[in-house]
Amino acid sequence: MFTTLLKMAWRNIWRQRRRTLLTAAAISLALILSILARSLQEGSYAHNIDNGARFSSGLVQIQHPKFGDSGSIDDLVPGSEEFIAPLREDERINHIVPRIESFALAAGAERSRGARVMGVRPELEDAYARVGQKLSAGEYLLADDNAVLLGVGLARYLNVGIGDEVVLYGQGYRGQTAAGLYPIKGLLSFPMPGIDDRLVYMPLAAAEQLFSTDGQVTNWVVHTHTLSLLPELLTQVGATYPQYRVRDWEDMLPEMAQQISMDRAGGYFMMVLLYGVVGFGLFATLLMMTLERQREFGVMLATGLLRSRLMILIAFESLFIATLGFVMGLLVVLPVLLWLQAYPIRMTGEMAQMVVEMGFEPVIPALLEAFVFAEQVQTTLFILVLCLIYPLYRVYALTVVVALQGKGHVG
Amino acid sequence: MTLEIRDLSKIYNEDTEFPVAAVDHLSLTIEAGEFVAIMGPSGSGKTTLLNMVGGIDVPTSGEVFIDAENISALSQRELIAFRRDNIGFVFQDYSLLPVLTALENVEFVMQLQGRAAAECSQRAKQLLERVGLAEHLHKVPAKLSGGQQQRVAVARALAPQPRFIIADEPTANLDAHSTAELLDMMQALNQQEHTTFIFSTHDPRVIDRAKRVVVIEDGRVVEDRLS
Repeated sequence: MFTTLLKMAWRNIWRQRRRTLLTAAAISLALILSILARSLQEGSYAHNIDNGARFSSGLVQIQHPKFGDSGSIDDLVPGSEEFIAPLREDERINHIVPRIESFALAAGAERSRGARVMGVRPELEDAYARVGQKLSAGEYLLADDNAVLLGVGLARYLNVGIGDEVVLYGQGYRGQTAAGLYPIKGLLSFPMPGIDDRLVYMPLAAAEQLFSTDGQVTNWVVHTHTLSLLPELLTQVGATYPQYRVRDWEDMLPEMAQQISMDRAGGYFMMVLLYGVVGFGLFATLLMMTLERQREFGVMLATGLLRSRLMILIAFESLFIATLGFVMGLLVVLPVLLWLQAYPIRMTGEMAQMVVEMGFEPVIPALLEAFVFAEQVQTTLFILVLCLIYPLYRVYALTVVVALQGKGHVG
Repeated sequence: MTLEIRDLSKIYNEDTEFPVAAVDHLSLTIEAGEFVAIMGPSGSGKTTLLNMVGGIDVPTSGEVFIDAENISALSQRELIAFRRDNIGFVFQDYSLLPVLTALENVEFVMQLQGRAAAECSQRAKQLLERVGLAEHLHKVPAKLSGGQQQRVAVARALAPQPRFIIADEPTANLDAHSTAELLDMMQALNQQEHTTFIFSTHDPRVIDRAKRVVVIEDGRVVEDRLS
């Protein structure tokens, strides 16, 4: 019986070929625009989160439970390989980076400024944050160097250059004095303004010595291939290190998270408008398809078709139209997205400048993940169900004898 | 098998100042195998009566018994099953499903009974051959003439092996030749299979062929004669 209903539904939608194609085209257009918009939106978020995280907090950090609030060099975690070994085999993780992050006064011959000191393993940090690519002058660090890289803005402020020396002065582990004189090996320049005004990179061993951390670090940064793996990775790492605090980028970069949430809400609002327009068109089609066949429905009910099966027939017809829209939409949008993923849109001019000032890189890559498609298909199906409620009610309330008269009244 | 209509009424606008009795305290008995024409002018209540007998309209009062089963007391779901298994409908405008072929239209009503696909197909072919449409099994209604469509409708009505065929002015849209063919076929089925035919009409060609003619005016039986 269901095979017959499917066959009838398929043939029924082609009774008004032009109307079916127009309705499917409207669905596909909504799908194309919303998938494109969401894919670019989520692609740029993923790109910015990834970039933002690499240069600052990382996607996930393992910290001392108090470090998040105190930021103190006294709240450390072990920096040993034994400590991090449980995560080495996890295939979701592509980077594990130890860091000592603290603050110190950086002083040149004439001026001084508070600076963010990053003690890193140069080779790991370069692979992770591609710090070497930001080198605008000088050379990148080696693990056993006792030298520093300075942000261009900081170097300019301190009026120092390659080969000059800076003094770092601050507080070390458990009240010890942290002081050292370091030659400047290179200068770092970042596209995002502000970052290089207070940044000092130094090898982890040198930072351990400066802050007297005795083999400890302030955090371990853990990074995953794709953002969608983050929730499960976070749970896993949390379970592996129950006595430590495991934080994700949203917790560590709340402003960025909030900015993305607001932007995402704006995108959703546009989608609601778009789907609202398409929804009215779909509703009109489904209602017409129901009202114009009242007598036919009356005959089917009179000959013994259950009302529920008649409703299923109408649902099948609607589903076919929607599926047609999905297929048409995906055939158009998939090649476009693949192209955009390979060749991301690079913003130019004032728009690019504005994005840079917001702290993001001015590129819009497309994100090709199942959820982008799934959420649009779900939305369309939800609208389809909404649009079906009234036509199905008309069928449910249809009086056979009145339907046979072709009047289409209910009651 | 007997169809017994007891004191049946259908009143429209019952709660208003001007109620209209389409069927007015009508009683009638039809035995199995009869070929009955319900005759009367437009608005006399023929269609309303057939609708109530066929279980697609609800009487205001009175009862319809088929073999002592009061169909007026059946629930909606029971009534659907009753209609499906016991009554075949033939409509004035044929009312075939336009997206199904002749064969599929006939199969469809048997599928509703839950019969196996092979059985449905075999019986549908037999019936269509019997009504002279063996060459047109795979044509959709739009490709058939009015007379051919009505023959498919008769085959469809017969397919579930119903106890009654109720036909509402089945020849109204047919030319003389098609009407004669259809009546020949219906009479043959009536005689060979003892299927009871009840049809409303004011077509004298049909009335001439009926074994029994019931004349209705203003919702009441005014004449009941054997021809």
